[in-house]
Amino acid sequence: MRWRRGLPAIRTLAVAIFGCAAWPVAAEFAFVTNQNSSDLSVLDLEVHAEVARIAVPGMPAGIAVGRGAFYTVSADSKEVRRFALRDGALLAEVTLDGGPIGIAYGAVRDRVYVSDWYNARIWVLDAGDLSVTGELRTGSAPAGLVVSPDGTWLASADRDADQVSVFDLDSGELRYAVTVGVRPFGLSLGPRGRLFTADVGSDSVTVVDPQQGRVVTTIKVGTRPYGISFAQGSGFVTNQYADTVSVFDLETLSVTHTLQVGEYPEGTDVTGDGRFVLVANWFSNTVSVIDAQSKTVVGEIETGDGPRAFGRFVADGYGKDD
Amino acid sequence: MQVLRRILIAALPVLLFCVPIMAEAHGPTRQKVTLTADIAAPPEEVWAVIGNFQDMSWHPAVHSSIGENGNEIDATRILTLGAEGGPTIDEVLYKYSDEKMSYSYRITEVAVEVLPVTNYSSHLTVKPGAEGGSVVEWRGAFYRGYPNNDPPPELNDEAAVAAVTGVYQAGLDALAARFAGN
Repeated sequence: MRWRRGLPAIRTLAVAIFGCAAWPVAAEFAFVTNQNSSDLSVLDLEVHAEVARIAVPGMPAGIAVGRGAFYTVSADSKEVRRFALRDGALLAEVTLDGGPIGIAYGAVRDRVYVSDWYNARIWVLDAGDLSVTGELRTGSAPAGLVVSPDGTWLASADRDADQVSVFDLDSGELRYAVTVGVRPFGLSLGPRGRLFTADVGSDSVTVVDPQQGRVVTTIKVGTRPYGISFAQGSGFVTNQYADTVSVFDLETLSVTHTLQVGEYPEGTDVTGDGRFVLVANWFSNTVSVIDAQSKTVVGEIETGDGPRAFGRFVADGYGKDD
Repeated sequence: MQVLRRILIAALPVLLFCVPIMAEAHGPTRQKVTLTADIAAPPEEVWAVIGNFQDMSWHPAVHSSIGENGNEIDATRILTLGAEGGPTIDEVLYKYSDEKMSYSYRITEVAVEVLPVTNYSSHLTVKPGAEGGSVVEWRGAFYRGYPNNDPPPELNDEAAVAAVTGVYQAGLDALAARFAGN
């Protein structure tokens, strides 16, 4: 870690300014991979400030949070790392071949899954020591990954195959290959168990039922959609080329708002209470904070250079003792 | 284009840290270059020199600048490089803040022979530095000059990054020299 300001001091300040000790409810943090500066910004979401910068060599983009740990993928150096959530200490690392890019954590099996952009596969890694325990064959250029909360299935967005692959994690067999929009990259699980792909080639979000292996509908969004998150009954889609977030209603599955954020917005995630949506702006070197209820941008937090945060990146537990 | 070429050659060693996001099968990926320089003068003094969109005389590659609408959003400028009658770059301002000491602009027209990039946007800002000095940060995002796969060497990602890095480095070096000994 290069530097770390006193967390307690910032908290005290927050309490003084806002008159409350908890805003939002739990002390949550965003772990944002900065691809160009090869490090990770820890952002305190109570006070909207960076509280630590952790070195992550090799141009990290992929991120996942898990039990007591966060995980990074450096696409350039092909390294996957595990860090302690509470203090950012490096706990394990592994160098893979091929092109590791996306990452997801599965709590039930205590595994992390890493997509291989070049070799149409997913590595299955032990979530503790990061040893490779298996592989799954996908369509061409898998990127975004989702593990079902019950640990029974895993899905990948296979960009160059225009499909989502759904695997049974008991058998390791491919359950479905579902054709979606053109070049799906980001993949997220909605609140009702539906999958949503960000289709960079057709400026759309495809809604997929992973249980039945079929497309529910397609939503037209802004130019070059990248990531999707969910809060307060809506989906939030980052549009890289439009510098916007498209907000769609989860009932009607149609766009209701378009919000201006920073430039080249990429990774997005949500606070645990669903109040705030976070968006990493790759060109602006900031994270935009969106109030999910009012659907307005309420803050902007500075990061390192080239924040991508491709994956799930919000967790509590930083700065806490065991 | 003697001046720009000289700058480009000087910049080549700097590029190694700027690597494309990933090698790709589907045409170009967006490149990003970020350079910073420590300047031995307070931010206000540095901003007074570089904070006018209509005056880029602080950059050694710029011969002259003409434009419209000052520092308003959508203000334009045409930079002439090197010498009178030299190549030009047309630009438009899309963000400006005196308070934050920053502005952002896009290139609307440039020949790839002059600057081998497309879809270029850029951000220039002055921040407080150590011991009362400043840090000037200049960053740009762009695609290479050649839109399809298998670009010729002079229009590939490396050439684009090299060219932009060279322009930024030359400007920042000139600023540092201007305030040296303060």
